[in-house]
Parts: sequence; structure tokens; C-alpha cells
Amino acid sequence: MTVQCEFQAVVLAAGKGSRMLEFTAGKPKCLLPVGSKPLIWYILNSLQKSGFTEAIMIVLEDQKTEIQSAIENEIGNNTLNIKIEYVSFDDKEDLGTADSLRLKEVQEKIKSDVLVVSCDLITDVNFVDVLNTFRKHNASMTSLLFPSSNIEPVVVPGPRSKHKPEKDLIGIDERTSRLVFSASASDFEEEVSLPMSLLKKHQHIKLYSTLCDSHVYVLKNWVMQYLKSEDNFMSLKGELIPYIVKKQLSKPIKPADTNVSTVNDKDVCDIFSFAKEDQLSLDIREASAYNDHKGDLKPTYNEDPIRCYAYLAPKGCIGIRINTLPAYWSTNGKIQDIWDKVSGDQKLIKHSVNADIKSNQVDDKCVIWDGAKLSEKTSFKNTLIGMNASVNSFSRVFNSIIMNNVVIKEKVAIENSIISDNAVIESGSKIKNCIIGNHYLISQDSEHANEILTKALMHF
Amino acid sequence: MSKSRNTVAKDNATQAIVIADTFEDEFVPISNDVPLCLFRVVNRPLIDYTLEFLSLGGIEETFLFCCNHVAAVKAHIKKSIDEAVGWTLTMKVHIIVSESCWSFGDCLRDLDAKGLLRGDFVLLEPGVISNIQLLPLLKKHSEVFQLDKGAAMTLIYQESSIGHMALCPQDETIIAYNSKNRVLFHKKTQKTKEKRVTFPLEIFIENSSVSVRHNLKDTHIAICSPAVLPLFSDNFDFQTKDDFVKGLLINEDILGSTIYCQILKGSNYGSAISNWRMYQAVSLELNNKWVYPIVPTVKRNRTLPENSALMLQLEKIVIGPNCIIKKGAKVTAGSILGKGVVINEDILITNVLIQSTKSDDILAQPIDKIGEFAYRLRACEDEEDLDLDKLLANKLSRLHIGDDLYEYDGDSDDEFSDSSEELSHTYSPPPDDTKLFFTEVVDSLTRGYEDKLLCDNLILEVNSSRYAYNITLKEVNYNVIKAILTLSQNLPNGTQYFPQLSQLLSYFSPILKNYIKNEAAMADCLQAIEDIAISNTELKDKWVIFLLKYLYEKDFLSEEAILKWFSNVKQDSKLYNQVEPFANWLQEAEEEDSSDDESE
Repeated sequence: MTVQCEFQAVVLAAGKGSRMLEFTAGKPKCLLPVGSKPLIWYILNSLQKSGFTEAIMIVLEDQKTEIQSAIENEIGNNTLNIKIEYVSFDDKEDLGTADSLRLKEVQEKIKSDVLVVSCDLITDVNFVDVLNTFRKHNASMTSLLFPSSNIEPVVVPGPRSKHKPEKDLIGIDERTSRLVFSASASDFEEEVSLPMSLLKKHQHIKLYSTLCDSHVYVLKNWVMQYLKSEDNFMSLKGELIPYIVKKQLSKPIKPADTNVSTVNDKDVCDIFSFAKEDQLSLDIREASAYNDHKGDLKPTYNEDPIRCYAYLAPKGCIGIRINTLPAYWSTNGKIQDIWDKVSGDQKLIKHSVNADIKSNQVDDKCVIWDGAKLSEKTSFKNTLIGMNASVNSFSRVFNSIIMNNVVIKEKVAIENSIISDNAVIESGSKIKNCIIGNHYLISQDSEHANEILTKALMHF
Repeated sequence: MSKSRNTVAKDNATQAIVIADTFEDEFVPISNDVPLCLFRVVNRPLIDYTLEFLSLGGIEETFLFCCNHVAAVKAHIKKSIDEAVGWTLTMKVHIIVSESCWSFGDCLRDLDAKGLLRGDFVLLEPGVISNIQLLPLLKKHSEVFQLDKGAAMTLIYQESSIGHMALCPQDETIIAYNSKNRVLFHKKTQKTKEKRVTFPLEIFIENSSVSVRHNLKDTHIAICSPAVLPLFSDNFDFQTKDDFVKGLLINEDILGSTIYCQILKGSNYGSAISNWRMYQAVSLELNNKWVYPIVPTVKRNRTLPENSALMLQLEKIVIGPNCIIKKGAKVTAGSILGKGVVINEDILITNVLIQSTKSDDILAQPIDKIGEFAYRLRACEDEEDLDLDKLLANKLSRLHIGDDLYEYDGDSDDEFSDSSEELSHTYSPPPDDTKLFFTEVVDSLTRGYEDKLLCDNLILEVNSSRYAYNITLKEVNYNVIKAILTLSQNLPNGTQYFPQLSQLLSYFSPILKNYIKNEAAMADCLQAIEDIAISNTELKDKWVIFLLKYLYEKDFLSEEAILKWFSNVKQDSKLYNQVEPFANWLQEAEEEDSSDDESE
């Protein structure tokens, strides 16, 4: 018999990277190279550091093998030690994050409370702190929030455009850390109205507009059950979480006739029928002198069966979501500076031993992956060279990201650009501030600047 | 004796403005005779506490602004200076008189014209009692002013909790301020009773974090920049401090001024006696030493020999000045000793009121004499049965100004959730709804009669009004009949009156038929007739009898119902005389009927 673990981790890795399709089309977002590791490695490493030995990972069917082999590669290299159970679904089903948690295979595997993380997070927060907030109050939901990391304005490849960050309005009770309000700023036009009852219950709310939702949620097991029965929710952040946060303010409707058994009432999918706490906890709470708030004579937690909490990461913590081009680009630029924090005690391998480096002009900031082939008389500065990419003589690459299997021929100059998988750059080309899509072919002696060159975007 | 108190205040003296009068009518009629600042709070004039607070708080020069009862206030201040009470040593008080001011704002405009204030100053609304150190707050305000030249005012709040005794429901405020303590939103909630509070989105977007608080008590103390007085002068519509705050927040760009706040915690206390409720609350808190070091006067000139036993519950004993309690005497809880009472040896005083002179009260009896200077007082005849607390509670019961008890309705959440749940709440309608319903019915019927609308449609209209106002069937019956009868009173008087009335009634007969369906409805109908008949003296004498006869003949009313109703009509009333012949006639008819039956 195995002991049931307290929390199970679920990694959502089926995202398509829809905010940066220029270079994620045709490639799993979670395998984007960040420094010397694929993106997914960072979150799995964080989970491992927080004590998780297993994780359930939700991936797209057609990306499963690719992701699996990448992770097995890491495990094989002893840089990761976590057991992964894969659940996949077909790309065509077009499921949201909440939908994917509703999948039968996922539901069958979930036995306890759940830590849901997104594959695009790079952080040095120990998830134990988040879990402790959850444990402390026997919460229904706890989310991890970062003080917004102001992405420094960097020159981003591609055409110049202004990135407007999406703002969330997040209200946290200053005294109890209860998460009492969660909405997107774009939901409001000119006014935000809050119910009086909320302000009476939580008399000191701090409303933040600059917090960044990490997409790390700890969910009580009943939330998963509720999700199973309620198929209106598409996404976690957009729908389910705000709904649960709102429902904190409601009280369960008292059944008019207590004699009637509600067991048969399958139609009644009231959230409160899921959110029941067991009598023992209630009795203990009543007997205890503890109260989470003061200033009124209300019972602990105001007798709310649903309680959401926020864990605000301490100042100086790193929390970056790689979901936009600027985030990806700037993170790749500074990954070596933050490596020690986000990787724990792992050693940064800048130049893979399996790479064939003949060039003698590779500066300190370059990262070179397995199987990369750098010919003589090439020059590299602050550049990432992906797996099995090859660069031929007389070419130079500055400040760029070259992904897997890219072929760069002779006399090519690349600067400040992202070159996606399997692209081919013919000899003599000059590329500056460009994003080159998957399998794209740059013809001989062509010059490009501030452009997005990809096949994928044609479809949009 | 030193004359230091008379020296002219230094040029850089910290200044404060105290507005002595409240311009509300909260304290009428008492405030007609006594100015608010001389109200006795735990046996001491209110202004004494205020001035003591200001001098302890570091103020050196105070402008006391008086509009009413100026002589009394002046006399009191003079007396304080003559007696050299604490504050006179460090603070100079100027009394500013203006009898033409009718609001808080007027006072400040007047002060602006006088140009007495030199720098930042402390502004007190009427009736403030506090123990706050003002100098650190002034310093903070000037620090803020260094960064934001528009900073006009710092509002001082005390952390409290809604529902707390000392938080006046009228003062319940929601404020939002940013991380620099700048006030972005200010709203008093009690007046509106709204279920939602609307904030402008921009305050959240422009600031990375905004504190929204609902647990603050206004201390009615504000630290002001010199710009405040001209702002009052420029805006004649600013009558109160709230107007000022509101005006500045709305017209921030135009006026170019900002408001900050400071939240006090811990033992810092600040309150203003703005109504009787606060009077009571502040009295209790003073008594319980919440405002330390500002405390009520302590015992003085009382002679307590060492082994006289006061059953030590001092808070329940009131001992006036110059009392003497002699050896071996015992005074227990609940007793009140007046001025100059002398309690002789070995006397036990339990739960009584004692004064030093003989009472002229008719209740006074010879046995009430306890000593030469001690007479027992009786508050009422059966005093023995009442304990003192209860007695006092009765006397003070007028002080319990009916607050709406703070309700923490977990149910009002539902506007936050689905509308379906919202529908499940039913509120019992306020009594006014019935009136509204009645006027609507009258309107419908008047229009219907004028335009000759179908009665069926009118019934529909009445019924929809009924549901709109949630009126019981009984009230519907009553009000519809009443409405028809009300219409009948608008008919022209004269010979044509009764024919027209019967025309009106026959027009509305489908409605009558619809609503007068059973015995209960008949009773309602008769009640309506009675009410109209009694309330309206100008009705024709025959009106009631005509109406009853009409309704009886058309079978709307049964004779049993009429007789039953008639038996309850007061015999000496005009109505009784009017209806009596008809009732007799009915009685006879019935008897005839029954005798007919017998004969058959």
C-alpha cells in the first residue's frame, strides 16, 4: 500500500504560445530554449526542489513524443529527477486550461489536493511556501502572485511594436491575505464597483494592478470534483478562479427541508455542495481560540466554506512567465545572471561537451547545446546555439537565439534575431532584428531587417 | 506668579484652529442654552479636554472660533486662565468671534480674511477629544508637502472597526489611498445605503496598489497647509470638511490640490462629539481611560479616613466635591454622594443617592435624614425595588439614539453572483408602498372613468400595481373600494349627485364584482366605507345610506355582513345615526323573511 501524497502536481504544457506564434508555431512552447535548458525544465526543476517526486503533465498528442524525449534526455543527464505521467489530448479539441483538468485521464489520477503549474514559469519561489499558506487556512484555493517584474525595455526582434501588458486587478485582504477580488482591468470601462458586503467583510483591502499571476494554483480536491461536474469553465485564470473568488462572499443556500436527502439531487451542482468541510474541522475551529480577523464578533473565517488566499512572493523573488516575445527575449538575455537562483544547485553548462566547437571566437555569454557544430572562422557573441544547429565558416552571430537544427551557411551575418527550428540561412545573407519562423528558408545574399519571416503567420 | 502665559506667541508657534460651534441641529434644544464647547462631558466642559489635548499635542497658539454664546465661552476661558489650568502654561488661546457665520466653511473663510495663520496648522471640527501627538503629524505633513506641493490637507484617521461603539454610523467612510497615503477616493456610506460602491478605474490603474479601507474612524482632526483657507474662500460651496474633501477629489486637476491621510493605531485616540450617540460613546471611553493622558477629573477635596471602607468599586460610586466620609463608614457600589455630604461614623451606605441639604421633594420623608449633612434622596416612590443601574438606565434611555444596528448580511452578496439567487430574496415592503399603491389605483380608475376604458383592463392594471408593490389581497380589496369612493367625492354636488354616483358605481360594477367576492372582502369594503365616512365630514348625510342600499340591492353586500359590521360601529358616532335606519330596515326585512318562511 502506498501512502497517499498530500499534493499532486499537474503541469499544464499543452499551451501553444499563442502570444508569440512567430516562433512557437510548429514547436512545443515548453521546449523553447532558455539558456542551456528547454523552458519546461525550469518548472520541473522547481517542483523537484519543492519536494515533488512525481508530476502529471498535460500535453498535446502530437507533441507528446518530442516533449517526452526532451525530458528523458534531461533525466538521462541527471539534471532532473522527477517521475512524469503524461496525459495527452488531440490538438483539434481546442481545450482551455480548465477543460484539460477535466479530462478523464487527469481526473482519474487526481486523488488529493492539486498544485497546478504552467509550463512557462521560471521562478525561484519555493512552492512549499505557497502550499503552507494553503495548509494554514485549509484553503479552497491559493494562488502565487509576483510583484510585477517590469520587463526592461529591450530591443526586441521583429517590427517595432508596443507591448501593452495586460493588467489584472487583484484585491487582497491586508490582514488575512484572503484573495477577495480578481478581475482583468479590461473588464471595466471607467468604473469598478465593489459590493458593500465585500467592503464590510474585508475592511482593509489592498487592490493591486501590477501583480503578475503566476498561474500557480493550489486547488482543494473538491475544486477538481466541482470542475468535473461543471463544464462551463474553459480556462482557470479567466473563469474558474474568478468564480471561486467571487463565491467566497456567498453563503450556501440553506436547504428548505433538511429531511429531504440531497444525495439524489444530481442536478444541483451548487458549488457549496462540493465545498463542505468535515464536521471535525468545524468543531475544532469552533473550540479553538484562533480567529483570522479582529474588529468584529464574527466567527473565524466568517464561516465561509470557500476561502481563497494569495501568496505574494517576497520582494526580489524571480517570477517570469515566458508567454510573450519580450518576456522570452529579455529572459534569455539575463538567464545567466539569474541562473543560480532559478536552478538551485545545478551547474550551468554553457558549452555542451557534445558540441563540435572549432571556432575560437565564442564569447563568455554564449550557450551552445548538444550536437551544435560551429566551424572554423566563425564569430559568436551573446548567442544561444540550439541542438544540432550548424554554422559554417565566415559567418558571425551576435545577440541572437538560434534554435535546433538550424543551418547557417557561409558568410552569413545575424544580429539581434531569433531563428526557429530547422530554418536554413543561405550563404551571404544579412539578418538584423528579425524573427525567422520554423523551416523557413532565407535565400542567398538576401538582406532582412525588422521583419517577421515565417510560414505559420500566413494562416492568420 | 509667572506671567509667561501672557507673553505673545513666538512667530513660528504651531497653530491650531478650533471651531467651537456645531452648525447641525443635533443637540437642539440643549445647545440653544449651552454652547457645545461647554457641554459637560464626564463632569468637565468639553472645551477643557480639547484645549488640554492641543497643548499636550504640542500646539502653542489656538484660535477658538465662536459664533454663539460668546460671553459664556469667554468667561470660561478667562476662568481657566485665572485658575492656571494645565494648558494655559504652554498655549495661548485667542477667541475669534463672528456671529455671521452659518457653517464650518464660513468660519474658515472668515479666518482667511483675518490672515492670522502663518504656516501649517491643525484644524479641529467641533467637539474633538483626543490624545494624539500632533507634532509628528505636522512633520509628516510637511515632508509630504516637500514632495507634493499640492498637498493641502492630511486627514487623521484612527483604525477602528465598523460596528464599534465609538464609530459613529454617520461617519462610516470608505477611503482609498495609494502607497504614498494620498487619498484617491472618499465616500460616506451611511447616507447612501447603496449596495455597491463604485470606484473610478483609473485610480487602480495609475497606482500599483491601492488600499481600500472601511475600518477607519474620522478623528475630525486635520493637518492643513496654508492653502486650505484660500481654497475655502475660493469655493463658496464648501460648507463642511467633507465638502472640501469631495470638492478637491473631484476637481483635483482644476484646484491642483491633493489630500493625504494618516492612519493612527494603538493607543492613539481621537473622536468628536458630533451627536448624542457620540456623546455617550466618548463619555464611556473617557471614563474607561481610553484617552489617557486625557482623563476625567479625579476626586478632590474628599476626606477619606484610613479605615473607612469604600467597597472598592470606584467606578460605580460617585462622590461629589468636599465630601467627608468618617471612620468606619461604608459606602458600597451604586451610591452617589452629592456635594459636601458628610457621612458619620459607622454608617453603611448602600445603593442610595445622598445630598447634603434637606430635599424639598414631596417624596422626602423624615427617615431620610442620615446625618446633619446627609439626606437620602428618592428618585421615585418604589425605589426599593429598583437597583440603581436600572434607574439610571431609565433616566438615560433617551440617550440611546436609535442606530440602525450594524448588520452583517452575508446574503447581500448575491448581487455579486447570479441573478437567479437574487430573486430568492423577498423584502417585506415598507408601509409606504400601500399608499403608493392606493394613489396608483386612484389614478388608474380616474383615467379609466374619464376615457371609458374597459373595466377588465382596469382590473389588470390594478393587479399589476398590486404585484409591483406586493400588496396583500385584503389591502387590495380595501384600497380599490376606497379609491372608487374617493372618485365619488369629486362628483359635482347638487341634485345631480346621487344619479351620477349610481352611474359611477354601475360603471365600476365589474370591478366591484371582481374584488368583493366573499364575506371577508365585504368586511374590507365596509371598512373602507366607514373610513371614508368618518374622515370626510363634508359628505352628504345620505351618502352612506345611499351607498349601502345600492351595494345591498346589487348584491355586492349581504345583509349579514352589513349587520355584523354595524354591530361594531360605535353607538354615539354620527355614522351610527346615519346607518341606523337602514340597519333597522334590514333587521325588519330579515324578520319578515323568517316569519314568511315560518308561515309557509
